[in-house]
Amino acid sequence: MSQTLKPETAEHLLEVLKWAVAEKSSLDVRGNGTKQGFGRPMRTTHTLDLSGLSGIKVYEPHELFMTAYSGTPVADIEAALRQNNQQMAFEPADLGPLLGMAEGTGTIGGVIACNLAGPRRIQAGAARDHFLGFNAVSGRGEVFKSGGTVVKNVTGFDLSKLIAGSFGTLAVMTEATFKVLPAAEKTRTVLALGLTDTRAMKAMSQALGSANDVSGAAHLPAAQAARSGVSYVSGAGQAVTAVRVEGPGPSVEHRCQAIRGLWADKGAQLEELHSQNSAALWKEIRDVRLLDAAEGKQVWRVSVPPMEGAGVGGELLGASGGEVFYDWGGGLIWLAHDGCPDANHDQVRAAVAKAGGHATLIRADADVRGLVPVFEPQPGPLGDITRRVKQGFDPEGVLNPGRMVEGV
Amino acid sequence: MTTKAAHINDDLIEALRGIVGDRLSLAEAVREQHGRDESYHDAFPPDVVVYPETTDEVSDIVKLCAARDVPVIPYGTGTSLEGHVAALKGGVCIDLMRLDRIISVNPEDMDVTVEAGVTRKKLNEDLRDTGLFFPIDPGADASIGGMTATRASGTNAVRYGTMRENVLAMTVVMADGRIIRTSRRARKSSAGYDLTRLFVGSEGTLGVITEITLRLYGIPEAVSSAVCSFPDLEAAIETVISTIHAGVPVARIELLDDVQMDAINKYSKMDFPVLPTLFFEFHGSKNGVVEQVETVEALATDVGASDFQWAVKQEDRNRLWQARHDSLYACMALKPGSKGMATDVCVPISRLAECILETRKDIEETGLLAPIVGHVGDGNFHVILLIDTEDKDDLEICKAFNERLVMRALAMDGTCTGEHGIGYGKMDFLVAEHGEAVSVMRAVKMALDPQNIMNPGKIVRV
Ligand SMILES: Cc1cc2nc3c(=O)[nH]c(=O)nc-3n(C[C@H](O)[C@H](O)[C@H](O)COP(=O)(O)OP(=O)(O)OC[C@H]3O[C@@H](n4cnc5c(N)ncnc54)[C@H](O)[C@@H]3O)c2cc1C
Repeated sequence: MSQTLKPETAEHLLEVLKWAVAEKSSLDVRGNGTKQGFGRPMRTTHTLDLSGLSGIKVYEPHELFMTAYSGTPVADIEAALRQNNQQMAFEPADLGPLLGMAEGTGTIGGVIACNLAGPRRIQAGAARDHFLGFNAVSGRGEVFKSGGTVVKNVTGFDLSKLIAGSFGTLAVMTEATFKVLPAAEKTRTVLALGLTDTRAMKAMSQALGSANDVSGAAHLPAAQAARSGVSYVSGAGQAVTAVRVEGPGPSVEHRCQAIRGLWADKGAQLEELHSQNSAALWKEIRDVRLLDAAEGKQVWRVSVPPMEGAGVGGELLGASGGEVFYDWGGGLIWLAHDGCPDANHDQVRAAVAKAGGHATLIRADADVRGLVPVFEPQPGPLGDITRRVKQGFDPEGVLNPGRMVEGV
Repeated sequence: MTTKAAHINDDLIEALRGIVGDRLSLAEAVREQHGRDESYHDAFPPDVVVYPETTDEVSDIVKLCAARDVPVIPYGTGTSLEGHVAALKGGVCIDLMRLDRIISVNPEDMDVTVEAGVTRKKLNEDLRDTGLFFPIDPGADASIGGMTATRASGTNAVRYGTMRENVLAMTVVMADGRIIRTSRRARKSSAGYDLTRLFVGSEGTLGVITEITLRLYGIPEAVSSAVCSFPDLEAAIETVISTIHAGVPVARIELLDDVQMDAINKYSKMDFPVLPTLFFEFHGSKNGVVEQVETVEALATDVGASDFQWAVKQEDRNRLWQARHDSLYACMALKPGSKGMATDVCVPISRLAECILETRKDIEETGLLAPIVGHVGDGNFHVILLIDTEDKDDLEICKAFNERLVMRALAMDGTCTGEHGIGYGKMDFLVAEHGEAVSVMRAVKMALDPQNIMNPGKIVRV
């Protein structure tokens, strides 16, 4: 009979995993379950609920790192950081609402396992770049740790990077150590109104390539901009290209000025958002709140080289009849379209392949995710390596079997 | 020891010639040079050195070796420091320096794809006209392939990160000779396990890296370097810590102790005060740099620093940083005929002062001539031990010193190696530091190289 196992300690978790290995039972590994709709649907014997492994273990703001148990809600971590004017610089996205769950309930383990990063990714890196080390139990039922609390460390294979983005298929983390950094004193956003997608990609590239240390670059076509809760953006009545600048006050003002200068010849109206409006806009972008995500809509996340963004975006629109917006300077495209049994899989993959990118089906009903590869399929040898790595960590297929690839 | 080398015979050499023609060497001097890095570790020459020019040739060579169970040792510029390139079991050394093309520069996407044998300086020379640069600068002019394989970092990791953060994708010849592309130019999100990062730092033990796509950065609008001497080590480290905590995005912050400064003065013909010293570099917009400089100068003056010397002109800056990069050679010149053993611990920066001071004391008590230099912004520092390799006692004394240093760092929650890697020199420290994780690493090695032909005897024992 299927059970939900909810260990409260690392020792208890180890026992659970040893038992599962011995019984050859498979486990659906989850934090608070906000992302259970992300990945392929699984048929597992039991559920392993990690929300009992919760709490901040070590946080000394001066050390610029935090160690937290893997089931700790991100909201708790962010609250503790805010008190010390710090943040997780990779800006973890909260995809809960997009996936039909409550806001603010995702866990740190889930963020790392799914390698979720927000708009600041282009400047500060992904979740895995901030992930310094962990304690875990492998699918063999063995405890191990990797990395540590220092930022530079070249002790053998980089297991932290392998675990980040492995969707709980290799090992179950009990605690994670990650960098925390000072939050910026001031944030501003420069907006250009009315650029076409192609011209927007150029403008963003120009800003990103300049010395102005841009920490976010997104382009919202008119219909998506209109959904924003920030009146300057929704009221623009046209497409909005946004570039974020953060840092100490005078420097931020100077850099905004410099970006306006760079964009002066674009023939576009330029605006500026101050701290609060900036925060609101980048949160909407981060959490993908600017697409029509009504029930039944399917959502893809597409990564391409940034300068291919507009071209691929156009093709995706033509093929799916949906809507898009762009983050990461054009390198990240969010696509939503009406639900259909194949999620427009072939068209999406074809458009992305030409540009040398990859696509992930983030939201669709379980039956669709069972039929359509959710992650970018891996050709021959890459697929073999994936299988062999999985085999090395989890020979019995105990942990989230088939969540990423069928049969793995 | 050389069970596998037995498979090396005329027949294999002929087959290799069939792939690379006369780009192959059996000469003793060449083999000797390829079995040795720049450290004190003993050399283990490979049986043969081949110089392929394409990924396909590398693939054919590896296929041949896999079929015959012969070890394969990838080789870049041979500047690693823990016996990484030693052919412990003989075998075929693949020298990658003829894969030296810059394949494509994409200025708008700010990335570049190069072959493994391009060196970091050559890359930056080629990029000059694009307004972009690649920041990672280990002291040696290493190959991008070698830097990727050792997960190298340099003097500006605080701002730009290490190879780990800056490799976007690569082409790898796996242990069975098949060619894979680990990801694409697009920023990786979720297309399976992160094999790119797994190969970064794999020290040639998982496959041969033949092409690498790197992230580039805009050449900053303004750059300014400074040298500042401090009354003592504590004051210098205090300044480092307060700079990092103030969130100043300093590009470089390097500590050199008085012994090191003396060595640099002599070797690079400079006349810095012989005191603990910080080298700084600031990158950004004109105003941004001025702001950073003012903040740091104030922090340094607070703890008693004297005479900030500025270098704004490019040639002055280059001279300064070349002197810093040559510090290992400067040290060796203090004791002619010696070899350098560079320790490489990294500790949380709050423990850095404590760790360096205890180490300084240990140096004095042990009676060593050992300069200290470090990328202190990330808690990483090197003690350069000058070893007379002919003198066995000397080597033992230095090894014991290093062991005490590593244990001190581990007790402070640090690591035995911040950038040089494991090679065969630090395998026991890896076990001390990571325990059970080593068996997980072994599982990874077995998954990717079940025959154990890729650079055997490094990182983990199989
Ligand atoms: C003076 C001096 C200063 C240094 N300073 C620094 C520093 O500041 N930071 C730092 O990180 N390091 C430093 N180092 C160490 C060294 O420069 C780096 O480790 C460098 O990255 C090695 O590159 P290489 O091309 O010389 O590689 P090699 O020494 O040739 O090889 C190193 C390892 O990588 C493997 N390898 C090489 N090429 C490939 C490939 N294409 N595919 C797969 N495997 C490959 C080899 O098998 C070997 O295991 C310094 C060394 C010296 C001598």
